Amino acid sequence: MTENPFPLDRDDLLKAYRIMRTIREFEERLHIDFAKGDIPGFVHLYAGEEASAAGIMMHLKDNDRIASTHRGHGHCIAKGVDVHEMMAEIYGRSTGACRGKGGSMHIADLSKGMMGANGILGAGAPLACGAALAAKVRGDGGVGISFVGDGASNQGMFLESLNLAAVWNLPAIFVVENNGYAESTARDWAVAVDSYIDRASGFGLPGVTVDGTDFFAVYEAAGEIIRRAREGGGPALLECNMVRFYGHFEGDAQTYRAKGEVEAIRASRDCIKIFAERVIEAGVISRAELEAIDKEVLDLIEDAVRAAKSAPLPAPAELLTDVYVAY
Amino acid sequence: MAPVVGIIANPVSARDIRRVVANAASLQITDRANIVLRVLAALRACGVTDVLMMPEKGGIRGHVERGVVRARAHGDTPYPAIHLVDMPVTGTVADTHRAAAAMRQAGVAAIVVLGGDGTHRAVVAHCGSIPIAGISTGTNNAFPEHREPTITGLATGLAVTGKVPAPVAFAANKRIDVCVNGGELREIALVDVALVTERYIGARALYRTENFRELFVTFADPEVIGMSAIAGLLEPVARDESGGLMVRLATPEQRQAGTCGTILHAPIAPGMITPVGVTDWRRMPAGVPFVPEIKAGSIALDGEREVSFSARDRVSLTLRDDAFRTVNVGGCMRFAAQNRLLAGAPAPLPATA
Amino acid sequence: MARKISMKQAINEALDLEMTRDPSVIVMGEDIVGGTGSPGEDDAWGGVLGVTKGLHAKHGNRLMDTPLSESAYIGAAIGAATCGLRPVAELMFIDFMGVCFDQIFNQAAKFRYMFGGKAETPVVIRAMVGAGFRAAAQHSQMLTPIFTHIPGVKVVCPSNAYDAKGLLIQSIRDNDPVIFCEHKNLYGLECDVPAESYAIPFGEANVLRDGGDVTIVSYGLTVHRAMEAAEALAKDKVEAEVIDLRTLSPIDWDTVIDSVERTGRLVVVDEAHPRCSIASDVAAFVGQNAFGALKAGVQMVTAPHVPVPFSPVLEDLYIPNAAAIADAARRTLAPTGTSPRSIAA
Repeated sequence: MTENPFPLDRDDLLKAYRIMRTIREFEERLHIDFAKGDIPGFVHLYAGEEASAAGIMMHLKDNDRIASTHRGHGHCIAKGVDVHEMMAEIYGRSTGACRGKGGSMHIADLSKGMMGANGILGAGAPLACGAALAAKVRGDGGVGISFVGDGASNQGMFLESLNLAAVWNLPAIFVVENNGYAESTARDWAVAVDSYIDRASGFGLPGVTVDGTDFFAVYEAAGEIIRRAREGGGPALLECNMVRFYGHFEGDAQTYRAKGEVEAIRASRDCIKIFAERVIEAGVISRAELEAIDKEVLDLIEDAVRAAKSAPLPAPAELLTDVYVAY
Repeated sequence: MAPVVGIIANPVSARDIRRVVANAASLQITDRANIVLRVLAALRACGVTDVLMMPEKGGIRGHVERGVVRARAHGDTPYPAIHLVDMPVTGTVADTHRAAAAMRQAGVAAIVVLGGDGTHRAVVAHCGSIPIAGISTGTNNAFPEHREPTITGLATGLAVTGKVPAPVAFAANKRIDVCVNGGELREIALVDVALVTERYIGARALYRTENFRELFVTFADPEVIGMSAIAGLLEPVARDESGGLMVRLATPEQRQAGTCGTILHAPIAPGMITPVGVTDWRRMPAGVPFVPEIKAGSIALDGEREVSFSARDRVSLTLRDDAFRTVNVGGCMRFAAQNRLLAGAPAPLPATA
Repeated sequence: MARKISMKQAINEALDLEMTRDPSVIVMGEDIVGGTGSPGEDDAWGGVLGVTKGLHAKHGNRLMDTPLSESAYIGAAIGAATCGLRPVAELMFIDFMGVCFDQIFNQAAKFRYMFGGKAETPVVIRAMVGAGFRAAAQHSQMLTPIFTHIPGVKVVCPSNAYDAKGLLIQSIRDNDPVIFCEHKNLYGLECDVPAESYAIPFGEANVLRDGGDVTIVSYGLTVHRAMEAAEALAKDKVEAEVIDLRTLSPIDWDTVIDSVERTGRLVVVDEAHPRCSIASDVAAFVGQNAFGALKAGVQMVTAPHVPVPFSPVLEDLYIPNAAAIADAARRTLAPTGTSPRSIAA
């Protein structure tokens, strides 16, 4: 048996791969089905960014909470939200994670510590502070993690949250998923202080930048940051430099991107390929094992789509329920 | 033609995990831009009229341009004209490589580098015999000396304009060449090569001393931080003498069993003084290839894990004397003082003097 | 045992009782302790008008001063509520909702519905409302209609100390987000309040005065103006029924409709601006559901469609007063009064 040189054991390596592959297949499938007109509404795909969700979420338990973004499918899957329920939700079915009332942008499962994808950019940051506050008040060692894109990092809510987290010394972590584009606008243009680490320093938080296409880089940095927060070391910021395989939303023609850009990043910066090559090269996991997972994931997604399409639509009475606990 | 000076300012040095696991500093973009402006002013004061800068999207350029525009609005021209290397910006180390190569091709007289050891290594890999002047904006900076950048700028200006003669102005430096599988992969290190058991690159920074196994340094300086400090605390080797030092570090089992010779408390990262078990060390002569004993792990260059290797890979390390040149800032400034290089026209003395 | 205490004391008492009863209740806001990190006294303010004074000494770090950063801390209160705490966040003046509204109407209000009934967000946002404090346009508004418009939040606005205590206790125990509006000109008003804990259910209006001639519906400070108007009308042998809505969302339509069906006349008094207000809401509801009972057009007495002015002489004109309410009631009773049908035409 080859000695495992990685900071995760074999089971966890396989789990991380399964998470990333599930996200990828989920998103690739949505891309196809959206184009066919099967899916209503707005859909924002996470394909290409899987290493961030997986590298961070591998450190979390259900009492650690995350507040996600509009591009939230990856965070949901990595946090353990049921893939069938997610798919049904995106199809607007009553069996969905939110019984068809939330859709792609609002998938949540509070029992898994997933506080919701969020259609309002930057809005998750104060909520994650709240989760961190709850963990601190209860002393349960949990953390609150806010995901934000490079664009939404310009929101006042986000910047206020950095300050609040520092002032209250919360176990809060701010992950900037920097894919270079704020919708269609270049990050380089839209962010005045070009380094997120500078922004963090401005509020007294340490910040770390990692290659977000390298699962191991994210995993290691996130691990240290999360451990620090659990130990009372306070909030920190993690910037993951990553790539977006698709447009801001499905249907985006992406004319603002350079010719050949997407092909190039798919070829050289595919986080799943990079991960697979590493673990195979190290002799810890075989290609056959990964291919077996690929097959299982394909079957899972196929089954989720099939189930979603045949699931019942919400009953008309559902329009009026779930507004209040009691009214 | 007046000499042109190249400037490579890395916008993303000092961003790694050591800000969390240690308490390393983080220099803000505005600070880096202000350093560039200070260097520009110093170069201009020495008669440099043109600089060639690496473009980046980290924000340094924008701040520098604001400084230049503001000076122009005052009617001042304290800065040389800034030209940008015509190249795509990727935001990766490839930018530094490309800029250094372009500057070499353009025939710049020297390159001022803002970054840590990693940035300097990236420049040296492509700048050939062009001398570099290092300014520390990184985390573990063993290579660039800590000094006010204005002085580095002045020394560079005096050196490239010929006011300080070349034998004084420039110094020779060592490096270690790393060769994997007979040249399939070639890397260099300016200060140190560390072989560690971690087989993944991950967050790159070196901070888990229990995984350190072998260390090769070009100079061993007890006054710097990082791997060179471990060697420097055993047997100092100067930057200007031939050869370096190699150190074998104890495994946790050896430490446990008490069979390692020495336990050093070494400053391996800012604020991290960590016990490191040393089994033995010896001089590393120049020009002789060394094969590490460890069979699988990662090769860290100047403090960052860069290459992972397995038992199938053949790794060799060779130290080279006189591998690249740097501006000898101390030498230039002493020469400038002795020869009144920065003296202007004599000012009238006050009557009371 | 009841004793006379002010509305300010009643709110303080409700917070104290609930914090004592339930360790998951935390209280946060700007200066609610006051002086945190400052060199002088601890608990220096206890809220900008002293409502939370003394609670810090008793409950310690469960009362938290916040940075002046409404989006962050209102959002944090909401986030913490979804994680099992029962935060009471003080948004000092309701006018400040402008800087944190997203967290209230896009987050707290929508979680339960968006997440298919799986979320509970038991957060209370306390805020001062209302004019008469010479605090001008950005510290005096009655923004209750804006919150009432939004499904998913509840809106409460007590008119006296007794109701304030019982409604705040209910708000804290309630499992939905509650906007608890405190009229700053009622803080000093005293009435009999039991020392023990009690909760007043939402959606139950309080009939303050029985009368068969005209129904006057209001909430908050203007309830008192309505009572003054009723006394004046009584001198003219007109008996007004005065209804204090107490909660605006949910709202007690039954009590309003029952009353209008008996009196046939309705005056709605609202300190908010007239358009899309609580007044227009009640008027519309009654028009739709009790049209046959109406003997005259519904009268609305509201603040004008202008910002709250600063100069005392102007501000006094701005706030609906007893004379205007009595006049409105008399218009519904005037023999030459126009019928609802002719108004519609």
